[in-house]
Amino acid sequence: MTLALVGGTHRTVPLDLRERLAFSAEQTADALARFRDRFPGREGVLLSTCNRVELYAAGAPDAPAPDAADIVAFLAECRGLDATQLEPVLSRERDEAVVRHLFAVAAGLDSMVLGEPQILAQVKQAWTLAQENRTAGPVTGGMFQGALRAAKRVATETGLGRQRVSIPSVAVADFASGVFERFDDKRVLLIGAGKMAAETLRYLREAGARDVTIVNRTAGRAVELAARLGARPGRFDRLAAELVTADLVVSTTGASDPVVTLDLFAAVETRREGRPLVVLDLAVPRDFDPRIGTRSGVWLYSVDDLAAACDANRRSRQREMPAALAIVDEETRRFMGDLHHRSTAPVIERLRAGWSETGDAELERLFRRLPHLADADRDEIRQAFDRYAAKLLHPPLVSLRDESRSGSPHGLLDALKRLFDLDD
Amino acid sequence: MAEFVAGISVVCFAASYAVALACEALRPALRSGVRGIAMLGFAAAGLLAHTLFLVWRAATEPSIPLSSPFDWYLLAAWLLAAGSLWLTITQPRTPVGLFVLPVVLMLVGAAQLSSRQPFPQSPATQIWGAIHGMFNLAASVAVLLGAVAGGMWLIQAGRLARKRAPVQGFRMPSLERLAHVTSRTPGIAAWTAAAGFVSGIVLNAVNRQRGLLETVPWNDPVVVRMAAVVVWLVTADALVHAARRRAEGPRAAAWLALASAAVLSASMLWGVFGATRHGMPPPASPAAASSGPATAGHEDSP
Repeated sequence: MTLALVGGTHRTVPLDLRERLAFSAEQTADALARFRDRFPGREGVLLSTCNRVELYAAGAPDAPAPDAADIVAFLAECRGLDATQLEPVLSRERDEAVVRHLFAVAAGLDSMVLGEPQILAQVKQAWTLAQENRTAGPVTGGMFQGALRAAKRVATETGLGRQRVSIPSVAVADFASGVFERFDDKRVLLIGAGKMAAETLRYLREAGARDVTIVNRTAGRAVELAARLGARPGRFDRLAAELVTADLVVSTTGASDPVVTLDLFAAVETRREGRPLVVLDLAVPRDFDPRIGTRSGVWLYSVDDLAAACDANRRSRQREMPAALAIVDEETRRFMGDLHHRSTAPVIERLRAGWSETGDAELERLFRRLPHLADADRDEIRQAFDRYAAKLLHPPLVSLRDESRSGSPHGLLDALKRLFDLDD
Repeated sequence: MAEFVAGISVVCFAASYAVALACEALRPALRSGVRGIAMLGFAAAGLLAHTLFLVWRAATEPSIPLSSPFDWYLLAAWLLAAGSLWLTITQPRTPVGLFVLPVVLMLVGAAQLSSRQPFPQSPATQIWGAIHGMFNLAASVAVLLGAVAGGMWLIQAGRLARKRAPVQGFRMPSLERLAHVTSRTPGIAAWTAAAGFVSGIVLNAVNRQRGLLETVPWNDPVVVRMAAVVVWLVTADALVHAARRRAEGPRAAAWLALASAAVLSASMLWGVFGATRHGMPPPASPAAASSGPATAGHEDSP
């Protein structure tokens, strides 16, 4: 069995070339159909995401996996590109390195954001497309199943994907959720219409937030954004009143001076009756006077605070890398052992068939000499022969299996072929 | 089966709880699912052994079931252990056991230091004795739960104030949920403790009036400290209520919950080691008194 991989990622392929190399679902199906015609008898899976395009190929001894140069030419042809453009930026792997790479990719270890979980769904989708287009087979099947298992183990046995690393997700999941148990009974106030407001609101919606008010200096912009995000537009001149009723504020204005000063907040504070207030000040320069964060019951987080938490989470993910790589290595060894063992199947089959043929011939001769034997006696003798053959075969099969764990057992296979006169 | 149940000792379930606590403490360092399963397994095994132990004692003790100071502490520990297990199952990401199991182990330790002799009771006052014990039990459990929630509130608030992301595998409940507990337990504790105190007075008065059992002098240390605990809990509840609509309210409630637990613990320690006439057997006849030495009594429920 041979495995090959040719592909490029955000690390190796420039964005403009990556955009042209990327495959949509329809283009992937078309490419797989071409693969079937171009490389008959081989298996192929095409993984295409916004950050990577990779073609995994597998072949049997009589039809080995295509050469890297052929795969590069194939990819270039599918996307109408010049192969010489792709040659220097696409990486190539063979056999065990292919498996290790796929397992690492599925576990998010090769992603731009370390440990991000979306890649697993994309790997599954690539495998499904290959099945639908009949380019998947037993080798890639086993390899992709192994990839899913490795990814699952990395997700459950390490903390790689548990820590959030984007500012809006950290703001909501690590800080706002630390203060509030639920969001469906909370009032969310968005001040300004900055880019991060919509993203933060998306996470808040996922957490259950329903009651959202948007205020903006430009009333029209607030109305437009409110309509787009399913929120209620508020008036900027009523900001103090909105702050009295709000439980969580996301502020993203482009103002050069604080929008909520300490004096303004002090006037609001007494009317809030001690309810806690979470402020996610995502504006630069800041919209809230930082001294507001020292008031009791106020949990104020600036972009820098959240970015620091994101960095800490990233470092935490990095610390999980050795454990994650150990799992990938273990699963790779396991898969390669199975694969090598599977490659011994034809020799074992021939060996069994040869022994069975010889045994049957000897039994026939014996039964002809002893015609008085009853059917039950003949069955007993047949079973004894089978058991004898199985016991004799057991040690070499165990040796083959053990040898498979550390690589393809060519030496043992050759010895078996020569010892038992097994033809290829 | 009966032999097996009879063989269960306090050490069995205390050791199970201790191992479960160790598994919980390893949570940030060891994120394998095996750790969680081991933690749950030991906590469940401990609770099962604890339950069987109490059932066996209730079934085999000649007096009213579970009426000794020893049983009282074990019942309080059982309630907290059961609550801890339930919360661990329903909220597996929260390290509830890390906070509750030490309290459970302390209660088991207090039980070991306490008398296993049932409180003497007559049929006429049995119901008052049960009411007295149950209210005191409810008050103590409420105080301890409030303290656990208060401690967790302060840790979570400290993390949020320092603007740190949560430690992996160590996600605390939200301040809102913890404040909900710390704001309600003082009221429950105050009123159940007051009811326990009043029912104790009634019990004592009935005994005194009918000359049934040993009565407790009104200036007995147990009466004084129980009164002090009730006064403290009612005051704490009033303070929590007063701070309810203030921004400092949840923090004040958290500290008051911890203070209440400290007052209760001091009261329990006094109960374990102090002398009292509470819960002592009826006075012996002169003939009986001359035949054996008088013993100093221990009283153990708060």
